[in-house]
Formats: sequence, structure tokens, C-alpha cells
Amino acid sequence: MTTQQELLAWVREFARQVTEHRDELTALDSAIGDADHGANMARGMGAAVEALHADPQTTAGGVFKKVGMTLVSKVGGASGPLYGTLFLRFGTAAGEVTELDPAGFAKAFRAGLEGVVARGRPEAGDKTMYDALAPALDALDESLAGGASLGDALRAASAAADAGRDATIPMLARKGRASYLGERSVGHQDPGATSVALLVAAAAATLG
Amino acid sequence: MTEAAVGLVAVSHSRALGEAAVALAREMLHGPAGEAVRIEVAAGLDATTFGTDATAVAEAITAADTGAGVVVLMDLGSAVLSAELALELLDDPSARDQVLLCPAPLVEGLVAAAVAAAGGADRAGVAAEAASGADAKAAQLGPVAPAPAVEPAVGAGGAEAIGTFVVTPPHGLHARPAALLVQALRGLDARVELRDPRTGRGPVPAASLTGVASLGAGAGAEIEVRARGPEAREAVDALLALAATGFGEAPPTAAPTAAPTPSTTSTAEAAAGQAPRAAAFGQETGPLPASPGIAIGPARLHRAVDLRVPDEKAEDPTVERERLDRALDEARRTITTVRDATPASEAAIFDAHLTMLDDPALVDAARDGIAAGSAAPAAWAASVDAAERTLAALPGEYLRARAADVRAVGDEVLRALLTSSSRLAVPDVPTRGTDATPLESGDSAPRVASSGDEPPTPSPAPTPLAPSGAPTDQIHEDPPTAPAVLVAADLTPAEVAVLDPEAVVGVVLAGGSATGHAAILLRARGIPAVMGAGPAVLDLDPGTPVALDGTAGRLVVDPSAEVRAVFGARLAQRAEQEAAARARADEPARTRDGTDVLVGVNVGAEAASAAGTGADLAGLVRTEFLFLDRAAPPDVDEQEAAYRAVAEALGGRRIVLRTLDVGGDKPLPYVPMPAEGNPFLGVRGLRLALRRPDLLAEQLRAIVRTAHATPVSVMFPMVTVPAELHAARAALDEAVAAEGRGRPPGLEVGIMVEVPAVALTAAAFAPAVDFLSIGTNDLTQYTLAAERGSAEVAALADPLSPAVLRLVDATCRGAGTAMVAVCGELAADPVAAPLLVGLGVRELSVAPPAVALVKQAVREADAGEAAALAARALDAPDPAAVRALLTAAD
Repeated sequence: MTTQQELLAWVREFARQVTEHRDELTALDSAIGDADHGANMARGMGAAVEALHADPQTTAGGVFKKVGMTLVSKVGGASGPLYGTLFLRFGTAAGEVTELDPAGFAKAFRAGLEGVVARGRPEAGDKTMYDALAPALDALDESLAGGASLGDALRAASAAADAGRDATIPMLARKGRASYLGERSVGHQDPGATSVALLVAAAAATLG
Repeated sequence: MTEAAVGLVAVSHSRALGEAAVALAREMLHGPAGEAVRIEVAAGLDATTFGTDATAVAEAITAADTGAGVVVLMDLGSAVLSAELALELLDDPSARDQVLLCPAPLVEGLVAAAVAAAGGADRAGVAAEAASGADAKAAQLGPVAPAPAVEPAVGAGGAEAIGTFVVTPPHGLHARPAALLVQALRGLDARVELRDPRTGRGPVPAASLTGVASLGAGAGAEIEVRARGPEAREAVDALLALAATGFGEAPPTAAPTAAPTPSTTSTAEAAAGQAPRAAAFGQETGPLPASPGIAIGPARLHRAVDLRVPDEKAEDPTVERERLDRALDEARRTITTVRDATPASEAAIFDAHLTMLDDPALVDAARDGIAAGSAAPAAWAASVDAAERTLAALPGEYLRARAADVRAVGDEVLRALLTSSSRLAVPDVPTRGTDATPLESGDSAPRVASSGDEPPTPSPAPTPLAPSGAPTDQIHEDPPTAPAVLVAADLTPAEVAVLDPEAVVGVVLAGGSATGHAAILLRARGIPAVMGAGPAVLDLDPGTPVALDGTAGRLVVDPSAEVRAVFGARLAQRAEQEAAARARADEPARTRDGTDVLVGVNVGAEAASAAGTGADLAGLVRTEFLFLDRAAPPDVDEQEAAYRAVAEALGGRRIVLRTLDVGGDKPLPYVPMPAEGNPFLGVRGLRLALRRPDLLAEQLRAIVRTAHATPVSVMFPMVTVPAELHAARAALDEAVAAEGRGRPPGLEVGIMVEVPAVALTAAAFAPAVDFLSIGTNDLTQYTLAAERGSAEVAALADPLSPAVLRLVDATCRGAGTAMVAVCGELAADPVAAPLLVGLGVRELSVAPPAVALVKQAVREADAGEAAALAARALDAPDPAAVRALLTAAD
């Protein structure tokens, strides 16, 4: 079972990771976007952690909705509504519970992915966060279905997210600012996919 | 209370952008309907951080909804995502159905949406208008990439119709009248475009509310309608009919009842026909000032000569070509005649026209047409049309005004072509030497007068067509040919040049351009005029009383007793002032508090014109007249005789002889000069004289000889540094020595202050001179880096610029005991006289007709008050503020 406390730890770890990788994310974004992804995510997640500190949440749904709402109003860029939707849907699907079993966790996470799809309408290969997130959740579901522990399943998901992230390099961007670049977006790693890989890695590190 | 309007939300990454876009859109909103449109901004994370905030968007949507729902416009990326997310975040989920996210471009879309919302459109209608918000821009700029067909099928083969209407609603073609306009065209099979030639906006599709609104046409705007398609005529008629009703809105002032006409027949009919017209140029509608002065008189309509090209069979191309060449020659002769009769300052217009007659683009195209089997008139007309269209399509009023030049030249040739085949109607312009047709209003013409509000600055050139005396100051009392206000669509320069100011006391142009030659010539001729009065004036009944103020740009049709009284009083006052001034012309000019100011006269070749003006001296004798238009310079004897003649004309008063002031702009055949890129900044005036010491020595000897007989001052032009002055003084000393009679007792020495450097360092020159004479024309040109002869920048070259006044001030402060004079055009402005006196100027030298008026202006001034006025003028931000100070003081 994953407790609400562990979920909080995941959020904090993700915040720490995006802060640590802020410059890398921004550098990736400056190649094909508006050079704000690292700063935006670090600001947004920092604000989310603070918000949780200021207004402690006792349920899984509460934690994720808080994170989602904070990201929506603090990130600014497209990752605001996208990550915001991910966490809001995650929270809604998780519900007002203090603990999640692995299946419930995976189901809520997938609801988050579906939120991202509803919001950004990405397709596989568009060179977006979807290209890391979708394989990660597929791997999560697959591993859990195969009897793996949540920790193992998340590690598999993290590996899949990394692979998905790396696969964005040769892709031609078809969404977001990068799509304005057309052919020139080829050869660059997608910053959204990179931060998603951090999110899944943070989960593997804290929820295992 | 207005019905709830659809609310709008602008979502942008940048708060500044969002707020500015909303401000732009709000400009389209007026009145209660406009105020009812709520526009909220959700932009930026804060005032400076780019980003969008879905919660802020949700709040904005809630705030914008007054019951009719909300349309959201976004810039890009996260703005779209945040807006979508905001719908999920709305507290009341059912409210989502009330919100429409619109994919229109933010700025254009917001403007269009605001107009549509104010017009009462529902959410879908607002969103649709917004979505087509960029259409007008696209239509204007054309397709970017591989061109899709622009012309709809309806354009092909369909008839074309054009028309013009005047916007009468007080707030212009805002949403409601624009909506009526769009509706009026619904169901008609025609593609209709509108254009505002004055602002250059358009053409825009008349079927689009956005397009119509984007014209930004205010009250009084004159909109061109162009329609293509099977029902083009009907479409144009529908629009003109709608415009005639005032778009269902009352004009700002109560619509005057029909302009009463002298005609006694069918008053009711006339009233019905004239009501909308009267509204079109109601009391508050402002035409543009074109030429200063006031005129009241019966309207006399100038119908453009019918220059329609007859449908004639072409002769052999050789014959047609000869016919064209003959017409070109004839036009060349006509234009040359007009040019020669025009004051030199304005003659360049006709030189330009002569150049156009030789323009291969124009002439070759016509010859090609003839070679292809056209008759000469048709070939020429086609060539002119093409050239005119090309120019008219260019951006900028100046270039479009050149289209009028092409038209003027083209008409001149066409007139020659058609006259030779006896098809030309006699022009309906009263011209000097021609008996104008009596006015339709018979002899009940009201007392007609014309007067300039501006200082008279007529050219001294005694050309037969130049205004004689001070035409702007004349009072016309029932002269043999009843004078009238000429009303025309436009006038060609040639037509203006031959207008008789006795018969035409004012001009009203329906169109025209203030930078066009007609306006420039009207000013030079001293005929008060307004332009841009709108086509409605062309429908005036002949004889309708018209009052115009060409200074303020006012036109009053059938003026009320009050208006007549105001205009008449100003005319009478002016006349009285002039009579009083002339009566005292010979008296000295002394301010109320006892400061004496010399008022001189500027003379050139026509020294006799200075006689009897009352001038205290000849403050500027332009000696160039002796040197121009000849193969060799005049010798000392010839010069002396000429200078003595000037002194005689002045009755022995002091004459200020300015040494030869020529340069690359006015080259002399016996003074070869290399071509200069900018002659006004090259070898001119004293710079040239010092390079040709032989010329200067001879002139100085003639001046010294004259000075032994009569009071003479010598004045050196275009001085820049003291070394030049010292060199010139040395040359003068040599001339005195060469004459061997000692220094003439009354000989004084001065320089012109034309270069800002001299004004700023006047103290360095003052010890070596008796006087400094400021040439405000050149000083203005050099200070503001604007050539007065260029219509494009002439407005910059305003001698009342505080910058110029500060240089006058600097000159007076640096002058010490040397006297400061002003001999530029500014001195001739009676309104400016107190200002110059206040700055410390003690001599004003002006054109002959202005002497009496300037003296009178000095007498009415108080030197103490003038000094205070001058101090304020120096701190004024611009010439307009200076002028406001002066008129207030007046």
C-alpha cells in the first residue's frame, strides 16, 4: 500500500529533481521552445510543496489536487495546464483516501495520462511528454499485471520513460512551440518528456 | 439599460499584451452598447512574468458573463490549454455551455469580437466575426504563399459600379451603422469593397462587419464604394441610399432643415432631397483647411470639363501618332504659359508637369496603344489611367497626390486632343480676362468678401496672374462680375493658376489634398479655401450661400444670420484694421510703451514696389536680380546705377544692400560651380563671394560709391564663422581705399543670421558689425532640417518653432550694441511682431504690402508685455503652442 505520506514524498522528490535539473530542462527547451520549462517546473513544484506545507492535505486526492491547482496557476507555460491536469485527474481518480493499493495507484496515474491526452491531444511520436508518459504507464500496468511489486513496476516504468524520453530526439515536433520549428526540432530531446522521466524516476525512488 | 452583451476574455502569456489588446478593442466600443460589453483579461502570471493561469482564466470567464455568455480569445500554446482547463475549473459546470473558445487571432479577433458583441451578436456570431477578424488584413495584403484565386466567380464578367458617401453618424461607422450597412447588401449578387481615401484604409469587404468597422471611419469621412458583379449598381445604390438616411442616426446637431435655396420651385422636394446632404456637412462637420482666409458668397459649381473619350474610329497609326504629338506640344505650351505666369516659388509644380509630358512610361504606353490600333485620345487616356492607378495605389498621401498630377497633365493633353476635334466644352471656371457666366442666383448675390487671416505674403513678382497688391485683404463689393465661392470636386494647378481672385473669393473642394498643388497654389494666390468637404457639396444648388474659413477649416452651407454675423464681423474688423494701418503707414512704429521699431521693406528687381509703402528703410535689397539671367556680371557702373535707383524709390531712406547671395541652387553662367549634392549646405552667399574675390570687389566698390551719395548698409549673407566676416570686412576696406574718398559717413556693416551657428555665437560677430539681420526662412530650414519647398516636410519648417525662437533670442542676447533685425517671412506675420519685439528685435523688414500692417501691429504691442510673452513662447513645446499663445495675446 502507498500511503498519503509516501505520495507527499514523491511530490517533494519530483520538486527536488526538477529544481536540480532546472538548467538542463531549460537548455533543452531553449533549443526548441521558449526556454522556460526548467524555470517553470521548478517554480511550479516549489510552489506546490509550499502549498502542501501551508495547507496540509490528509488524502491522496487532496494532495494531488493541491499540486495540480498550484501548477495550473504557477507554471505559466503549457506544462502548467498539462501537469496540472495530470495531477488533478490523478487526485480525482485516487479519491479521498489515505492509502492506495498498486492497482489503484496505476489506475489513478493512467487517469492523469488521460487528462494530459484530453488537454493536449498528443499522439505518439509528436515529440511531447506523452512519448515518455504513455510507455511508462504501459510498463507499470504490464509489470503489475505480471505480479511485480509496485517498486519493481515503477522501476520498469522509469526505464520505459527514459527510453521514451530518448526516443523523442529524432522526432519531428508536432505540438507546442517546438512545432513552429518544423524540421529544426529534429535532433533535440523533448523537455516535457525529460521532466516526465524525472517524475517517474522520483516515483520509483520514493514509492518503492 | 442595454441588453446583456456577450462577454469577452482575452487570454495571453503577457499581461501587457492582453491589456493592450483589450484597450485596442475598446476603441471600437462607444455608447451604451459599447459599455455593455465586458472584456476581462487573464494574462501573465503577474505583470511581468509570461505565462497563463487556468484559474485566472476561470475567474475572468465568470466575471465577463453578464448573462449572454462568454467568448474567449487566446494567444497561443498554454493559453489555449489553460482556457480549456479553465472550463473544467468553473464552479458552475453548466456555465461551460455558455462559454465559447474561439480560435481567432487574439488582436484582430478581439477587435472584431468587441464590435460584434456591441452589435448584439450572440456567442456564435461573436466568435464567427472574431474568426474572420484577420480577413481584411489578408485581403489587403494578399495571399502569402502560392496564390489561391482571390476573385470570386461573381467578379468575372460582372458589371462594376462605384460611388462615394459621407459618414454622418456622430461616432462614425461604428457597429450599428456598420451592421446596417452589411445588412443592406445582404442578398445582392455583388462583391462590394469600401475604402477611405483620406486615411488610406481599405479596401475592405463591405459584407464583413469587421471589415467595415476596421475602416475606422469617423463622422465626415468620405467612403469610396466599389462593387463588382451582376448587381453591382444595385449594391452601390443601396449603400448610398442608406448613407443618405444618415444610417438611421441623427447627426450631432439637429439636422438643419433643407438648405433654403433661391429657387422658389418645389421647396418641399428640395427639402427632401437635401436633408441628408445638409446633415453631411452640418455645422460641425469639418473640412480641411487648405488656404487661409474667410469668404462668404454664393456657391458657383465648377463642373469638370467633360473629357470623356469619344468612341471614334482610329485613323492610320501615323496620323494618330502625329495627333498625339501635336496635343503634347499644345499641352506643353499651355503649361509653360501657366508656369510663366505663376510666382516663382510655385512654378516648380508646372516644371514637374512638363517633365511628365516627356515621361516615357506615359508617352510610350500611349504610342503603343496607337500602334495597336487605338485612336490617340483612347490610347492616351488608357496610358494616363494606368499611371494614375499605379500611383493612387501607393501608400502615403504624398504619392497619391502625385496621382492627381498625372491626372492633371493627362487632362491637359486630352483637352488638347479633343479641342482640336472641337469636342471640348468651355471650362466653367471664372478666369481672369474671361467674362464669367452670371450666377444662377441672379443679382441677389449677397455681399461677398474675402479676407486673409494670415499675413499677406504675396509674391512681389508683378506677373499678370499673380495677386496684385494684397489680394487676401481685399473687400469685394459688387464688382462687375458677381464674385462667388467656387465649388469643385478638385481643381488642377492650371485651373487654380488662372482663377480670378476678383471673381472667386473662396474655393470649396469636395476632395483634394492639403499637400497637393491645388492647395499650395491657392495659398500662393491668396484665395481662401477648404478641401475634403465631401461629395455632397457638389450637389449644392448654384447660388446657395456658403461661408468658409480656410484658416480653421470650416464650411457653413447657407449660414445662419449668426454665422454670417461672425464671419462678416471678422471681415469688417480686418478691413477696418487694414484701412487704419494704411492711413498711418508713414508714421513711425512705436509700441504703446514707447519702444521704436523700424519697419523696412524687402525689395528685389522691382524697387518701385517699395515706394509709398511707408517703409522706414529697405531692410533687404536682394542684389541678385542684377546678376541672374545674363552671360556676364554687371560692371561697377551698372550696379551703382541700380542701387541708386532703389535708394530713390525709397525717397533717400537707408537701403541695406545684401551682397550677391547665390550658390549651387541658383548657379550663374559666369560663376562655374561643381555640382553639389546639397547646394543649400554648399558654397552659397559669402562662401561663394570669398571664392570669387573679383566679383565681390566690384560689388563692394559699387556699394561704396552709392554710400557716398545716400545712406547705405552692406550686409553679407550666409556667414558661418567670424573669419568669413573679417575677410569680408577687409574686402570692404579695400573697396573704400580703392575709391580714395575715405569711408562714406553713413556706411554700416551687418551680416545675415541664417546659420544656427551664428545665432548661437552672435557675441563673436557683434563687435565687428552694426547690425545682425535674421533670415528666418533659411534659419528655419537649417534648424529643423526641413526644406520649405518640399510639401512633405514643409509642415516641419515652421518659423514659429520654439527652436527657431530660441535662436532669435540667442542672437539678441549676443548682439550687444549691434541692432537685431528680422528680414524673413516671419517678420511679415503681424501676429508674430509682438513676439519678435519681445525677444529684442528692433527692425522688421517685410514684403511691400505687409509694411503698414506690421507697423500697426507694433503700435498695438507693449514691449514689456511682449517680453513676458516671448519668455513663455521660448518654453512652449511646439509651434502650435506658440501660435496659441500669440492668438490668445492677440
